[in-house]
Amino acid sequence: MDRDARRGLLLISPTALYAIALLAAPLAAILLFSFWSQDFLEIDRTLTLKNYREALTEPLYRLLLWRSLLISLAVTVVTVLLAFPIAYFVSFHVRPGRKALWIFLITIPFWTSYLVRVFLWKVILGFNGVLNTSLIGIGVIDEPLTFILYNANAVVITLAHAFAPFAILPIFVALEKIDRSLLEASRDLGESAMSTFFRVTLPLAMPGVVAAVLIVFIPTIGDYVTPRLVGGPDGLMIANMIQTQFLRLNNAPLGAALAVVAMVMVSVVALAFIWLNRRWLGGDGR
Amino acid sequence: MTDGARHPIVSLRDVEKFYGSYHALRGISMDIGEGEFFSLLGPSGCGKTTLLRTIAGFEEVSSGHVLLDGQNMDGVAPNRRPTNMVFQSYAIFPHLSVAENVGFGLRRSGLAGDEKARAVDEALAMVGLAGYGARSAQALSGGQRQRVALARALILKPRVLLLDEPLSALDKKMREQMQSELRRLQRHVGITFILVTHDQEEALIMSDRIAVMFEGEIAQLATPQELYRRPVSREVADFIGVMNFLPAEIRMGSGTAVEADIAGLGPAAIDSAQCPGALRPGRAEVGLRPETMTILPEGAPGEGHVAQGVVAEQSYYGDMTYYVVRLDGVDQTVTLSMKNRIGRAVLEPGMPARVSWDPRALLVFSG
Ligand SMILES: Nc1ncnc2c1ncn2[C@@H]1O[C@H](COP(=O)(O)OP(=O)(O)OP(=O)(O)O)[C@@H](O)[C@H]1O
Ligand SMILES: [Mg+2]
Repeated sequence: MDRDARRGLLLISPTALYAIALLAAPLAAILLFSFWSQDFLEIDRTLTLKNYREALTEPLYRLLLWRSLLISLAVTVVTVLLAFPIAYFVSFHVRPGRKALWIFLITIPFWTSYLVRVFLWKVILGFNGVLNTSLIGIGVIDEPLTFILYNANAVVITLAHAFAPFAILPIFVALEKIDRSLLEASRDLGESAMSTFFRVTLPLAMPGVVAAVLIVFIPTIGDYVTPRLVGGPDGLMIANMIQTQFLRLNNAPLGAALAVVAMVMVSVVALAFIWLNRRWLGGDGR
Repeated sequence: MTDGARHPIVSLRDVEKFYGSYHALRGISMDIGEGEFFSLLGPSGCGKTTLLRTIAGFEEVSSGHVLLDGQNMDGVAPNRRPTNMVFQSYAIFPHLSVAENVGFGLRRSGLAGDEKARAVDEALAMVGLAGYGARSAQALSGGQRQRVALARALILKPRVLLLDEPLSALDKKMREQMQSELRRLQRHVGITFILVTHDQEEALIMSDRIAVMFEGEIAQLATPQELYRRPVSREVADFIGVMNFLPAEIRMGSGTAVEADIAGLGPAAIDSAQCPGALRPGRAEVGLRPETMTILPEGAPGEGHVAQGVVAEQSYYGDMTYYVVRLDGVDQTVTLSMKNRIGRAVLEPGMPARVSWDPRALLVFSG
């Protein structure tokens, strides 16, 4: 090992130790647990695939996994579709001197705790909530809307709001990096503003969109606070079941197996997305 | 090659452009002929790019009109104008291959796939990049990018090709090569080229006509020869090539003859045709190009107009030597250039020099 490599290793070692202690080790523990089994109060340490069999065949778990995947995908699509116009507006239509202020304003929701924000959505979406009272007040509806709280819709709305800044920022950065003369060149070569967007702006913003998709998709699938608070019985996700297995049913191995399955699912979808992007959208940062 | 006789392809009519309160273009009117190689030359910030972008449609005129091929372009978007542009940064699409870049504008051409591919190959061959089509545009050198930008614009067969300082990012050798290639290409395709440059040498070498711009105005529009020999003002004379300026006293003679008493050089009779602008008796400045003066060899007969001086500086360029000579009796220096011929000694600073000059080469600028 030469000097540079040693110095490099020294520099990263605090972070690396931290990562090993708090990420790799628990991950390994979870993996190990998932191959053990719960024998009432004891843990049976013989390796078995029984938990996985259960996780993948039990209808309730399959439903929860499937629903988690759908909700996460929905949240991702909604968040990125909403974030793109905002990022686009700030990058293209806000004066350069004002952009920092706008980005700052976009991060304001982060000043309150996640929990408070979820509760606020409960207040907004509730049966007698802000939204329903307002809509009834102005006569748009006669009865309170019930499809907006304690179901999957509420989870999607709340998570999309929570993750919006995470999606806006990478897209904004990607848009900022686009040389404006490329857009003029496209216009010059005969393309309208609209086709310039699809042929130049969007492909060049793809790295930001990919980052946004991954940043939103990966954590939402494991979220359990939002489904617990606003999801009702139909909005519960796999993380709620994992929590239940670990804390209530005292079946850590099954919980671990469910966690591993969810993790594998996320990885597969994320990798598939990256591959699709490389293959079809040209978003390989050429 | 100057002709108003050519069919005007670009016509500017009293074009004014304001950025807020900043007056970037001031009453610009001119015609640029079909097939002409036209240059916009001027110092940084004089409005060359603004004028080019106005023609391309990226900037709205504040007042006045841009006509392309006789059609008024008010409110016509860049994608609907018969112009194409080579951007200063080249603006090569980084997410596309070389061939995709060159073929970018063909989407609306109605050509079939293989016809497009053939057109792209032809365009690449034209700029000397045959076989580069499959490469990633990002893996190109500066000169290659410039060629891709050129091919991408020319493939659409525009009536007018606009080039914004396309050569300024290249090194000297490459620049000189591209200058002659651009010129050759322009003759070959017969399209009107409008070139923006702040390099007067480049403009002189390449153009049929040059418009010199200062602070948003056209100071002079002329052929390279006219511009060099007959600059209309001291500013233009100073901007184009090197010119020595010496104070002089002007006396009007009979007819078209004028008598000038030039500091350091002495008296001379000159023709009023050598005086651009109004000629008034009294104080003026005369301009002399370096190549119109020579240092006489020692012992040579000094007939005609000869001034005495001392070499103050010498710069050796290989083929030429530039001297700065301090003239006797006045606090004035002149710069002059001499071909380095066989047997001609290079003078060193401090050596005396007899400077021979020709009154016919003088220009008089009345203050
Ligand atoms: N969008 C704009 N807003 C305000 N002022 C501008 C804008 N574009 C150009 N200007 C000003 O107009 C003037 C002319 O600019 P322009 O870019 O045409 O100069 P140029 O002759 O091309 O100079 P250079 O050789 O440095 O490229 C400059 O003083 C510039 O500051
Ligand atoms: Mg410019």
